Amino acid sequence: MLLKLAWRNIFRNKRRSIITTSSVIFAVLFAVFMRSLQQGAYGNMLKNIVGSYMGYIQIHSKGFWAEKTLDNSFNVSDIMHLTEQEGITHVSPRVEGFALASVGDISKPVALLGLDANLEKEYIHLDKKLVSGKYFSDDNQGLLIGKGLQEIMQLSLGDSLVFLGQGYQGSVASGSYPIIGVVDLKTPELNKRTVLMNLDLAQSFYGLPNLVTTAVVGINHENWQAAQATTIGAVDTTLLEVMNWQEMLPELKQLISVDKAGGTFVLIILYSIITFSLFGTVLMLTEERSFEYGVLIAVGMAKTKVIQVAVLETLILAAVGVIAGLVVAFPFVLYFYINPINLSGQMQEVVERFGFEALIPTSLNPSIALTHSGIIFCIVLIVNIYTVVKIKRLNPITSMRK
Amino acid sequence: MIQVTDIQKTYNDGKVQVQALRGIDLVIKEGEFTAIVGPSGSGKTTLLNIIGGLDSPNYGKVKIGNTDIAQLTENELIDFRLNHIGFVFQSYNLIPVLTAKENVEFLMLLQKKDDKERNERTTKLLVSVGLEDQINKKPNEMSGGQQQRVAVARALASKPDFVLADEPTANLDSTATANLLDIMLRLNQEENITFIFSTHDQRVIDRARRVITMEDGKILSDSMKQMTDK
Ligand SMILES: Nc1ncnc2c1ncn2[C@@H]1O[C@H](COP(=O)(O)OP(=O)(O)OP(=O)(O)O)[C@@H](O)[C@H]1O
Ligand SMILES: [Mg+2]
Repeated sequence: MLLKLAWRNIFRNKRRSIITTSSVIFAVLFAVFMRSLQQGAYGNMLKNIVGSYMGYIQIHSKGFWAEKTLDNSFNVSDIMHLTEQEGITHVSPRVEGFALASVGDISKPVALLGLDANLEKEYIHLDKKLVSGKYFSDDNQGLLIGKGLQEIMQLSLGDSLVFLGQGYQGSVASGSYPIIGVVDLKTPELNKRTVLMNLDLAQSFYGLPNLVTTAVVGINHENWQAAQATTIGAVDTTLLEVMNWQEMLPELKQLISVDKAGGTFVLIILYSIITFSLFGTVLMLTEERSFEYGVLIAVGMAKTKVIQVAVLETLILAAVGVIAGLVVAFPFVLYFYINPINLSGQMQEVVERFGFEALIPTSLNPSIALTHSGIIFCIVLIVNIYTVVKIKRLNPITSMRK
Repeated sequence: MIQVTDIQKTYNDGKVQVQALRGIDLVIKEGEFTAIVGPSGSGKTTLLNIIGGLDSPNYGKVKIGNTDIAQLTENELIDFRLNHIGFVFQSYNLIPVLTAKENVEFLMLLQKKDDKERNERTTKLLVSVGLEDQINKKPNEMSGGQQQRVAVARALASKPDFVLADEPTANLDSTATANLLDIMLRLNQEENITFIFSTHDQRVIDRARRVITMEDGKILSDSMKQMTDK
């Protein structure tokens, strides 16, 4: 009955109901689309930079990340017990150093990295990132190079690169190895300066006696915060540092939070407008209906029930708006999830300069829809405080005199 | 039984103080058909509002049955009105989005009466006010007289102890007035329903069994007549 009253009341002023609902539809559509685009962009960045190579959490010998010297290295067997921890799938050891790479008279400083071919194949699917050539085999002495580097140095498969660099404890490292494949590491920055080799080969090149500089901690879910805590609890942090992607890439973290804040600002403005629109509706409704509310209270309807009818009316309007908004937003979000927005021209340059792929898929994370529906309902409930106060104070004689 | 003892009411309208009621004593028994008459401003509406628990006196006591309504909290009072008092207003005051049937049914829903009882009573009441062919009409599709008959049916739906009606015929033409009075009188005689109403209309006064005349917030006269069936 209460519902029936509220429902019929909605149709008394169709135009106002339509305007109110439309404003909610617009807000939900805009908010959900914008947020899923943002989250999608961050997710893509993270996946490309963090997920595809660097990992969410790394362990180094203390000070390595700041100084980047091979002397800060450690024995990976010291931390292999981590794989027994809940939420941690594996530990990938790496050797990360720098060298000058030359072919003919072209030279370029590169990151010359050693990694465990089998582990990286299993966990980051490095073999799938090949664009030409073939993947490491166990006894392989060959190199995989980033596709950007291939272009810059005009290399082809089978060419040998000559390296000169600083090794462990001040030794000189040098060697010459053939290129067996070209990989796409998804971020232009990495592609331009990365050379990969087998872990053993890198250890002998740098003269590292069974030591590594880096261990990537493989995690089960995207809940890296929990995994980081587990890791910190399980290793000797007086000797080792456990860093997450935000600590390793503060610029990326900052970029995301600045962008998020910008989005939040836009949403705050949007929601303020919606709040005023809904408040206006509530104001008008309470005013218009106060005669009837007076009658209902006079003949014996409890004020709490009158309040329910009044609040239900705006709640229904909002619910219709939210549902319609989500229904309209879904195909948009889905479309751009399947066909990511491909930035072009100047935007593409800017984004790629930051080291990101210029491709923005939307996020299908349902929490976005939930959050923004929730916000709308909260606004409805908040503006209805007015209704509650008004009806609580309503005197049937006064309101029926009008 | 309604017992009104030394009711006084003063309105404090900013600067001006209006003494609307200056000591009213009154007893109304079950089954009465009582008109409250008097010039404009004599305090009829104020008295009815106080008896109905819509307004409170500055002094004095209203007892309905064994309940001193001044002792009730706001919510208890609303609930008391639902179960003990029927209201008919001058301008009908039906709920515009509900049909005649739904308007009558409404109070029984608030009383949580079951479906069967509700339907039976609604139909019976609408038949007795002569609106069996209008049950699905909304108020704006009915004439004033028809709306006021729905209002009477609504007032009776909750099985109240008595019905209060402040100038129920003021907005009706003479045919509709006569019609409404016939219905109210019949309900009074056949079902012993107590009606207390205020009016200016001599034709209505003529048909009341007890006439209480007010002036200046006081009762001037109180006369019981023999029923002159027409
Ligand atoms: N809310 C109020 N504020 C101030 N004065 C009021 C208020 N209600 C009624 N009065 C005054 O109290 C007195 C009695 O009013 P009341 O409405 O009871 O008279 P009434 O007999 O019903 O008159 P009418 O025949 O015009 O309906 C009048 O002088 C009126 O002006
Ligand atoms: Mg009056």
